Amino acid sequence: MLLPRMSTKGDPGRIELLQGTLDLLILRTLLLGPAHGHAICKTIERSSDDVLQVEQGSLYPALHRLIKRGWITFDEGTSENNRRAKYYRLTAKGRKQLELETSRWDKLARAIAQILRPT
Amino acid sequence: MRKRKNLTDLDQDIRDHIERETEDNIDRGMSPEEARAAALRKFGNVSLVKEDTWRVWNPVWLEQLLQDLRYCARTLRRSPAFTVVVTLTLAVAIGMNTAAFSIVNAVLLKPLTYSNPDRWVWVANYNRQFKNELVSGPDFLDWRAQAQSFEGLAGYDYQDSTIATGESATEERIAQVSNEFWQLSGAQTTAGRLPRAEDQDALLLTARFFERRFGGDPRVIGSTVTLEGRPVTIVGVLAPGFRFLLPMQQSFNDRREIEAYTPLGISPETEIRGGPTAVIHVAGKLKPGVALEQARAEIETIQARIAKANPEWFYGDFQVHVDPLQEKLVGSSRPALMVLSAAAALVLLIACANVVSLLLARASARRREVAIRAAAGAGKGRVFRQFFAEGMLLAAMGGAAGVLVAYGAMATILRLSRNAVPRIGEAVIDGRVLAFTAAISIGVAIVFGFAPAISLWKTNLHSTLKDGARTFSASSTSLRFRGLLVAGELALAVVLLVGAGLLVKSFRLMNSHPPGFAPERVLVMTVVLSGPAYAGRPAQEAYMTEVLRRIESVPGVEAAGISNPFMQGVAKVEGKPAPSRGQPPQMVTFSMASAAYGKAIGMQLVKGRWTTDGEPARVLVINRSFARRIFDSEDPLGRRIRVPGALGDEEPYATVVGIVDDLKHSKLDAEPQPEVLVPYKQSPFLRGANVTVRVAGDPLVVAPALRQLISEIDKSQPVYDVKTLEEALADSIAPRRFNLYLLGTLATVALLLAVIGVYGVIAYSVAQRTHEIGVRMALGATRPEVIGMVVRQGLGVALAGIGIGVAGAFMLTRMMESLLYQVKPTDPQTFAAVAIALTLTALIASWGPALKAALVDPVIALRCE
Repeated sequence: MLLPRMSTKGDPGRIELLQGTLDLLILRTLLLGPAHGHAICKTIERSSDDVLQVEQGSLYPALHRLIKRGWITFDEGTSENNRRAKYYRLTAKGRKQLELETSRWDKLARAIAQILRPT
Repeated sequence: MRKRKNLTDLDQDIRDHIERETEDNIDRGMSPEEARAAALRKFGNVSLVKEDTWRVWNPVWLEQLLQDLRYCARTLRRSPAFTVVVTLTLAVAIGMNTAAFSIVNAVLLKPLTYSNPDRWVWVANYNRQFKNELVSGPDFLDWRAQAQSFEGLAGYDYQDSTIATGESATEERIAQVSNEFWQLSGAQTTAGRLPRAEDQDALLLTARFFERRFGGDPRVIGSTVTLEGRPVTIVGVLAPGFRFLLPMQQSFNDRREIEAYTPLGISPETEIRGGPTAVIHVAGKLKPGVALEQARAEIETIQARIAKANPEWFYGDFQVHVDPLQEKLVGSSRPALMVLSAAAALVLLIACANVVSLLLARASARRREVAIRAAAGAGKGRVFRQFFAEGMLLAAMGGAAGVLVAYGAMATILRLSRNAVPRIGEAVIDGRVLAFTAAISIGVAIVFGFAPAISLWKTNLHSTLKDGARTFSASSTSLRFRGLLVAGELALAVVLLVGAGLLVKSFRLMNSHPPGFAPERVLVMTVVLSGPAYAGRPAQEAYMTEVLRRIESVPGVEAAGISNPFMQGVAKVEGKPAPSRGQPPQMVTFSMASAAYGKAIGMQLVKGRWTTDGEPARVLVINRSFARRIFDSEDPLGRRIRVPGALGDEEPYATVVGIVDDLKHSKLDAEPQPEVLVPYKQSPFLRGANVTVRVAGDPLVVAPALRQLISEIDKSQPVYDVKTLEEALADSIAPRRFNLYLLGTLATVALLLAVIGVYGVIAYSVAQRTHEIGVRMALGATRPEVIGMVVRQGLGVALAGIGIGVAGAFMLTRMMESLLYQVKPTDPQTFAAVAIALTLTALIASWGPALKAALVDPVIALRCE
C-alpha cells in the first residue's frame, strides 16, 4: 500500500522503481536545492532521460514520510509565476541519510551487476 | 499538531501540482481539456494519494481501531437495552471499587500530611494491668529533656470545653498540644501566628472553626475569648488543609472534630511525681536515620532510670510502646477496610460475570454476522479486534459512569460516617484514584474482549453460513459456560451475603435491649459548668437542681434525670480484703445520678429500692455486673462501698440500697461494666451532667424547647450534644455501622446482580430451546413437566454455586473476625439463612422463564425455525 506507484503503462522504455528508491531519488533531487512537488517530479524524469517516470501522486505520501522522519522540511514560498508553493528542502539529517542510502545503493548495484555479469 | 499542520494544505498542494502539469501540457501544444485529462492521468488516483498521505501520519492500527469503535458505537446504539444494562452494571461495580479505593488510599496509603511523615512515632507507657496507654506529665518531661533519638517530642490531650464570647457560649472539642508540635508538623497559618513558648493563654483556631464561629472575621485575631472560664487570646488561624492526625481514644471517634488548639500547660514546676500530675499522650518525630528500635531502647533506658529513682511508684506494671504514628492512627481500621475492598472486588467479579454472560449470548447471536465479515475477507484478527473494541467501549462507558457513581457514594459515605474511620475526611477522587479506575476498566475491557473471541474461535465459517439459522451444538457449549459463570457469581454472592449477614447479626446483638428501654423516646444532652461563678459546690448543686425542676415541669416529659460518670477506680468494700497484688483489680465506674435517672434511661430495678434526691445518709445503687463480680454470691444490699473523691471529713462509705439490671446505655459494643450510682447531691463532682429525658412523643419535637429552657438558667453555660439516645448509641458504634452499611450495600448489589444473572441465563436458554420445548409438548409433555424441567435446570446451576459459595465463605469469613460482636465467623444460622434465601431467589428467578416456556404453543414453536 505504501509502495511508490510507478507508471509503466504501454511504454516498454520505462521501468518500475524498486521499493524505497523514490525516497532516495527525492533526497537526491533536493540536494540540488529546494524545490516544490511538481518540480521534483520533473527533475527526476528529466535526469533519468525520462526512463523513470513517477506516478506523480505517489510523490506526496513519500514527501510526507520524509517529513515525518525529519529528513526534509519545507518553507512556504511563491513560485516563478507568483503562485503559492511549498518548497521542500533537505535537512542536515536528510543529507546524512542521503549519503548512507547512496553508498548502500552503490553496494547493492555493484553486487547485482556482479551476479548478472560475472567477469 | 504537527500532523494537522502538514495535512491541512494537502488538497491545495495537489491542486497546484495538477495545474502546473496542465500548464506544462498546454505549453507542449495540447488543448486545455486534453492537457487537464493528461495531467490527472499522470497524477493517479487523487483520493488514494490523499489516503496514503494521511496514513503516513495516522498509523493503520489506529485508523482501524477508530473504525472498529465507530462500528461498535453504531451496533451498541442499535441495542440500547443491552448497552444500558451493561453500562449500569459496570458503573455500579467500578464505582464501588473506586470509592473503596479512594478510602483505602486516604486512610492507609497516603502519608500523613505532616512534614517527614515516616519519622513520626507515638510513644506511650502501656499499663499491663489496666491495658491502657498513657503518659504522666513528669515522665514526658524527662523523656523530652533526655532522649536523643528525637527531633522533638510533643505532648497532647483533648477534651470538650466551653468557649464563650460575649453573650454566646458553645461546647467545642479542643486539643492541647505542647509547642514542639507546631515546628515538628510544619503547620502553617493563614492569619496571625502559631503559639510561642511564652504564651500559655493562646488559642489557635482551625480554618473551619474560624469560619463557623467567627464568620472568618480577621479582627478576632488578638481578641480575648473565655475558655472554660479562663481568658485566652486568639493568636492565629491554621491553614484549611491542616488536620489533627494524632490518635484519640475511641470514645472520641464521634462526628465532632478538633476545632481549636491551646498550649499544653505542663512544666517542671507543676509536674511533680506524687503530686497531681497531668496524664497526656505523646507523639514525636525521630531524627533522620534513627530506627524505631533505637528510640524504643532509649525511652526504655530513661524509664528504667525513672523507676529506679522512684521506687515508691508502680513503674513495674508499665511497658514502653513506641509505634509508627500512622500505624497507631489507622492500623485498627485496616481489617475493616481490607474486607470492604475485597467485597468490592467480589462485586466487580460478579458484575463482570454477568456482562460476559450477556456478551456470550450476543456473540452467538452474531455468529452469522461474523461469518459474513470473515467471508468478505476480514482476517480472524480483524474480527476479534472488533470484539475487543466493543469490550473497550463498554468498559470505558462503565468506567466513566463509575466515576460518577463513586462521587455519589463518597458523598453519602462521608455524610453518614464523618469520623467513623480516622482520616476518612481526606478521601477524594484524585489522580491516583482515577488511575486505579482506569486500570480496572482496562482489565475489564480485556476480559470482555477475550470471552466472545474465544467462544467464536472454533466457529466454522462454512457451516454457520450454510445452516442459516442457529446451530444447537455450538450454542449449548456457550450455554454451559454461561451456566458456570452464573454458578460462580452465585458463589461470590454467597460469600458477600454471609459476610454482611454476620455483621447484621452482630449489629442486632449489639442493639438488643431489654424491653421498655426504647432509646428512640429518650433525649440526651450535655451541660458543663465553667467559670468562676460555678467554682463552688453550692452553685453547681443549685444549677443541677434547677435543671431537673425545669424539665420535669414540661408537659410530655415522663421522666428526667441527670447523670455523669465521674471516676473509674478500684472498688473498696467494707469488710472485704483488697485484692492481692498480681491479681488484676476490678475497675468500676462511679457515676452520679438523680433519683429519676434510672427511670428516664430505662433501667430496671432488680432488688432493693431506688435512691431519692433527699437521702439523709450516704447510699448508692449498684448494677448487676458489680454485684456479680465484686460480691459473687453474697447479698450486696446493706454492704458499704467506699466512694472515691469524698471530701475532707465526710463519711467515705455509702450503703448499697438497690441493684439495677445491666444496661448498655453508652457504648453498644462493650460488655456491661460494673457501675455504681451515687445520688447527685452526694457526688463529690458536679461540674457536668448528661441530661436524660424520656418523653411521651417524638423527642426531637420537644428538644428545642428543652434546650432553650435549660440554657435560660444561665446563658453563659452551653447545652450541647442534643440527640436521642438512639442516635447517641448509634454513634458509639460508628465504625461498626460504617462497616455494616458498606458491606450491606455491596452484598445487596451482589445479590441483585446474581439474580439478574440467573434470570438472564435461564431466559436465554428457554428462548434457545423454544423449538425443542415445542417438540416435547407435541409429543405429550405437560405444562407442569416443562416448568419442572426449566426450574430444575436453574436450580441445578444455583445449588452448585451456592454450595461452592458456602464452602468459600466458611474459609474466608475468619478474615472478618475482628469486625464481629458475639458472633462466630462460622455462625451456622447465618450460613443457613443465606443459603436458603439464595436458593429461593434462584427459584423465583427461573420461575418466570419457566412459565414462559410452559406457555409455548407447540404449533408456533415448531414453525419458528
